This record gives sequence, structure tokens and C-alpha cells, in this order.
Amino acid sequence: MDRRTFVTSLGVGATVGLAGCVIDDSGGNGSGNGNGNESGSGNGNGDGGGNGDGNGDGNESGNGDTTAEDVNVGMVYSSGGLGDESFNDMAYNGVEQAEADFGISYQNAEPDSPADMNDYQREFAGSGEYDLVCCIGFDHVTDLVQNAQEFSDQQFVLVDAVAETEGGDLVENVDNYVFREHEGSFQVGHLAGLLTTMEYDHGAASTSPDDPHVGFVGGQETAIIDRFEAGYIAGAEYANEDIEVSTAYAGSWDDPGTGQEIATTMYDNGADIVFHAAGATGGGVFEAAQSAERYAIGVDDDQSISAEGFSDVIVASMVKRVNTAVYESIESVVNGEFEGGSVQDLGLEEDGVEAVIGQDFEGELPSEVTDALAETREGIIGGDIEVPEET
Amino acid sequence: MSSGGRGSDGDRETESGGSGGSSDADRGRGGDWRNRGRQTLAWLVNASAVQRIAISLTALAFAVLVGGALVFASGFVASCRQPVIYIPLLGESCYNPVEVYWTMLEGSFGSLPNLARTLQETTLLLFTGLSVAVAFRAGLFNVGTQGQMVLGALATGLALVPLGSVLPDSVVGMLVAVPIGLVAGAVVGGFWGFIPGAMKSYADANEVITTIMLNFVATGIAFYLVSEHLGDPGTGSVQTVPVPSVARLPPTVDGSRFSVLALVGALLVAVGIFWLYDRTILGYELRTSGLQESAAEYSGVDAKRNVVTSMTLSGALGGIAGAIYVMMVHYRWQTGMPSLGFDGIAVSVLAGNNPIGVIPAALLFGGLKSGSFAVDFALGVPGELVVVLRGLIILFVAMPEFFRMIGTYYDFGDQPETAAADGGERQ
Repeated sequence: MDRRTFVTSLGVGATVGLAGCVIDDSGGNGSGNGNGNESGSGNGNGDGGGNGDGNGDGNESGNGDTTAEDVNVGMVYSSGGLGDESFNDMAYNGVEQAEADFGISYQNAEPDSPADMNDYQREFAGSGEYDLVCCIGFDHVTDLVQNAQEFSDQQFVLVDAVAETEGGDLVENVDNYVFREHEGSFQVGHLAGLLTTMEYDHGAASTSPDDPHVGFVGGQETAIIDRFEAGYIAGAEYANEDIEVSTAYAGSWDDPGTGQEIATTMYDNGADIVFHAAGATGGGVFEAAQSAERYAIGVDDDQSISAEGFSDVIVASMVKRVNTAVYESIESVVNGEFEGGSVQDLGLEEDGVEAVIGQDFEGELPSEVTDALAETREGIIGGDIEVPEET
Repeated sequence: MSSGGRGSDGDRETESGGSGGSSDADRGRGGDWRNRGRQTLAWLVNASAVQRIAISLTALAFAVLVGGALVFASGFVASCRQPVIYIPLLGESCYNPVEVYWTMLEGSFGSLPNLARTLQETTLLLFTGLSVAVAFRAGLFNVGTQGQMVLGALATGLALVPLGSVLPDSVVGMLVAVPIGLVAGAVVGGFWGFIPGAMKSYADANEVITTIMLNFVATGIAFYLVSEHLGDPGTGSVQTVPVPSVARLPPTVDGSRFSVLALVGALLVAVGIFWLYDRTILGYELRTSGLQESAAEYSGVDAKRNVVTSMTLSGALGGIAGAIYVMMVHYRWQTGMPSLGFDGIAVSVLAGNNPIGVIPAALLFGGLKSGSFAVDFALGVPGELVVVLRGLIILFVAMPEFFRMIGTYYDFGDQPETAAADGGERQ
């Protein structure tokens, strides 16, 4: 080939490739992660979904003569898509687990943008071949309210939002799963508040009792992340009334650089522990923690396992079990017990959220800390402690 | 790189078959690739409209072949429950390329709802493609159509919400609401195009840089406004209150979100832009101002103002794309709008920046998008592979046109004769 032609085409290829990147980036930034309130990497949370045993025979009611093998599930993820190592991957873990336990089949669909969600919902519902359509993420809600009413025979599951008609009634054929993130965040906030008030040294970091100070890094300022922040602050203040809590938002779910910058500033200003609810941005928070020799708290998944390289600073994670939500909803369909028009509100009591101690810190925390945590957990479940949902 | 090589092979074959009159062709046999390259470029520049269409179709065929081979080969690496084929030594392949392409075709044009989905995307791409083409025509590279569209869509979404309680829910109400939505989008989008235009004219700021940066500013402003002040309080998602039904373009096909009214409007705009730029004095002035500022100034044209006008017009078209998106597709503004503005750049380049050419280019893109939706849905082929197929088709079809632009730029070919030969005498 002519060398010039070759060079030119190479240039063109590179340009087109670059353009592709630009397009992808913008798609990702815009909303891509509208639902990925959290982060993680890997999918280490094996304990979430594995707790149901295959119950393929006991499904006489509801779906008539359907057997578990016939159950077909349509999965519509949020625009962050699979491979986000967090929210969507957790949902995927749930359906995979259900496949392994019940032998169901499923079809994934990954919308590029919220506008595609409507198309996928309608395509699944309209085909009539799916027993259940799982809509992952709150961006689905507006379209789902309409589509679920139109396809009233289709069973839907909605995660992270509640499908209500304009009159305020629940849509009959949608099962809603929402999480009380503030409860789990209160727990990790309480842990952070206790540790910064005492002298603690384990793993690659330490705290000192003077100047009790903790931090919070959010992704984008959405209502859900506000629940994380509100719970965290309340928990930290419960541990120590004089505590200083710095909060900041990175404005993005996939910008570890900004995450690192923010967290470094917080550590430099005396924060001992930083909790992030910022998707992939949180990776930067862990980096900052390691270089500052301070602690960090993960989110969504047990990040001391999924982001194992940082397990010496990740003292705990606020785990949100999206996989359990998906798994349970599929189980209910398999058993013919699907209940539309209901809201599953999952908090500490239901194990929907939980403060999970990091793998390097298991059994290494002072017993007064773990006792206090167990106490507030009981307090929240029993209703003695009221956790605010808004900052 | 193999793809590029095959593409030009195809062109050369067509060359010997098509023009047949290259007296220098023999020289190439000695391995004189440089010369052959020059000839190919010259031939591309001289190609008649019929030949160019033939080239595009050949390129499409090659793209399908290469893409098919790629899909088939990837099938050997993937694991699946029901392999399509088993080849000794190689193993089994999971993907059937014929099935993939058939699903793509079926998914884009095979049924009325599928066609509606294709045309929905086509309509939006027509506006963004025209937005980019208008700027290109005036020698300006507007990368900011995305931002102009995002803000235009937000303006439309906000302007239409209060109309629900004022206007009757009837055709009359729609005749009032739809123009209001279009004007709101066009004004705000136009303003967002005006800024880089003015910066280019009066501060000598490169419009490529400013428009790229203004995309981020637009997205940030829109996100902030909606999440903090103007959003729908009833949802956790960052979105505005849905627009009232009076402001929604009626779907032409039941269950779809496509209105033939919008498509007809888009086609009329394409023709109008063509007419404006090729048949009017204003259009001529707009073109010269961007391409050759000093020449325009000498002939008494205010080139600086015309650059601003071109960018404003381009931005207004981007804003209208946003308005149509809100009124026809999404019925609300929501963060994470699709990247139609960036796709518009590709559409415009594919069309050779010709407003009429934008029509088939937008249709191709719309069909590919709709078709890949169907593949993603119906087959086990991963979405990324479908994106590769889409990219290959675009790359192959755009390449000859791209080399033609290079050839024209470096004065290959025989320009005056081309004009004379355009009637097809060459064949």
C-alpha cells in the first residue's frame, strides 16, 4: 500500500476512534451514571443472593402451569450499563444467582440513555415472552408508570424508585424495591465518628483523638445520595456531638481524579475517615486514603473485597443489596407469589443495607466500637433512633 | 488497517471497470503505488454522482463482509449454550453473521413499529446533522450541537409545562403549543451557538475549542438548574415535570414515539437550507464569509457578522433538535440526553456537508441505531460488537467521500471538466 495512503488512513482511523471516545464520554457523563449512586469493583458480595434454595416445584399458583425453567426475565439496566462494578453489576449478580438456583432464563438490555429505557420496557412487555421485566434504577420510573398501565398483564419490578400514578396510587403490576440507605449510612457514620474520637491504629492507617473530623464525598447531588449524606452526618454526630463533618460532591460518578483531590484536601484538613457514595469516583478516595494513611469507607459492595488493593484502609462498607432485590423478585415469580402494587422498603432490619466491616478489620475493631454499632443497629431497627432522610 | 486497504482495493477495481480511460494505469503495474494513489484520488475527485453512489454501495457491501467476518470470528472466542457452527480445529462459533445482519435489517425496516423507531432517530439526526452541515458550509466546525440541543430541549421542556392548564387539549391547542416549543428551543439553542460565533468573529477564538467547552458548560448548567431549582420534585431522577399532552406530537404509529409531522418538517428544513445556501445571495455571503473572510470583506460583505449568523443558525437547528426530542420522544428533559449532537457531526461528514445528502445519511444512522437495538435485544451478540458493526459501516461509507475531500483539497482531478462531465458523459 502506498505509504501516504497508509499514513492518511491511519490518521483517519485515529481521528474516528477519538471521536468515538468523545461521544462515549459525553454519553457517560450526562447521565450514564444517574443511578449508580455507589461504586465498587468486582462483585465480591456473594453473600447477598445466595440464600434461597431452588424451589422449582412449589409453584402451582399464580402463573398457572409455569415451571421455573419456563420463567423468562427481561433485565433493563440503568444507563451506566453493565461493567460499572457497582449498581448494575449487583443487579446482574442477582439474576445470575437466580439462573443458577432456579434455572430461569433472562435477557439483558442496556440502554444508552434514559430515552432508550422506554423502548426497552415496551419491547420486553410487548413481546409477551417475559414473565418479569426488571427495571434497574430510578430513571425508569416516569416511563414505567405509563407502560405498566398500558401493559397491565406484564409483571414489572422497579429498583430504587416507586411507581405511582398521578393520583398517588401504586401501579398494580409493579413491585417496587427501595432502600433505606440512610440507615446503613448512619451505621458507617457512627463507626467513623467513634474511630475519629479515639486512638486507633490498624492496617495502613491510624486516627488520633484530637480534632474529631470525618468527611463525605458524593457523586452527583441526587435525592438518593442526599440520603447517604444525611444518614452519615447523623451517625457521626450521634457518636460525637462536636464532630466536624466535611461534605463535597465530585459532580461525576466516574472521575477518580476529582475524588482523590477532594479526599486529599479533607485528609489534609484533619479528617480521619472519608465515606464515599460516588461510584467509580470513589477509587480516588481510596488512593487518597492510602497516601494520607487515613481510613476510608466503601459503598454498595463490600469494597474491601471488590477493591482489594485498598483493603488495608477500607475499614467498612455501606453495602446495598440490589442483587437480593432482583433475586427475591424473580423467586416470587418462580413461586407464583408475585405481588404487584407493593413496596419492599429494605433497611437494616431486612438486610437490604448493612455496614459491613472490611476484611482486614474483621475482629480488629475495639469491642466498645462493635458493641456500640450493634446497639445503634438495634436502636434503628427498634425505632428508638430516628435517622433523617434529608440533609 | 486491513479494512482501509480493502476499501481502496474496491475503489481501484471500480476504477478500471468504470472510467477505463486511465492511460497511466500501466505504470502502476511496476509497483508504483504512489502514482496509483494519485490516480485513485484524481479519479475519486472526478467521479460523477452515479459513480459516487456506486462507490458508496460497494463500500457498504465491503463493510458488511468485513463486519460479518469479525462477528463470526468473535463467535469462536465467546461461549454460549447453542453454538451456530462447529469447525474442526477451530472450535465452535456462537454468532451467525447472516442472522445478525438480517436482524438488523428487520429491526430497522421490517415492521411498522420498527420503521417508526428508525424514523424517530432519523428525524432527530436530520436536525443535528443539518446543524453541523450549516456551520460546515460556512467553513465553521460546530462541535457544540450537543450542548445547543441540551439547552434547547431544557428550554422547550420548561416553556411547555405551564401551557397544560391554559390551552385546550385539542388540535387548536397543539397548533399553539408546538410552535412555542420550537421557538423556545431554537432561541436558546441559537443563543448557545451565537456565543462561540461572536467569540470567533470578535475575539478570534477558535470555534472548535469554544464549542467543545461550551458543551460541558451547557450540560452543567442544565443539570444544576434541574436538580436544584426546576426539577420534578416527585422523582429522584434529575428531570423536569413531563410536558402536557397538548404539547406532545401525536404518534403516527400506535405505541411508537414518532410523528410524521416532525419528519416532514425536518425534510422541509433540509430543502430550505439547501435553497438558502445554494440559491440566495445571503447564503452565498454566509459561505464566503467563513471560507474566505478577506474576499468577502473586499466584496462589501460584513464577514464577521455573517460568521455569527451562521453559528446562530446552526445553534438554532441544534435547539430545534432538542425541542423535537422533548415534544416527540421523551416528553420531558432528563439528564443524560443521547449523543445526537455528536452523531450529527458524523451524519454531516457522511453527507459531504450537503443539506440534501444529510437525508440519506440520517436515514442510514437511524436504521443502524434501530437495527442494533433489535440485535441487542433479540440475539446474544454483545452490544459492543454491534457498535463495532455500526462503526465499520460508517467508516467504510464515509472513507471514499473523505478521500474525495482530501483529493479536492490538494487539487487532484480535473475540476472544470468535472462540472461539464456531471451529466454522466464520463460513463
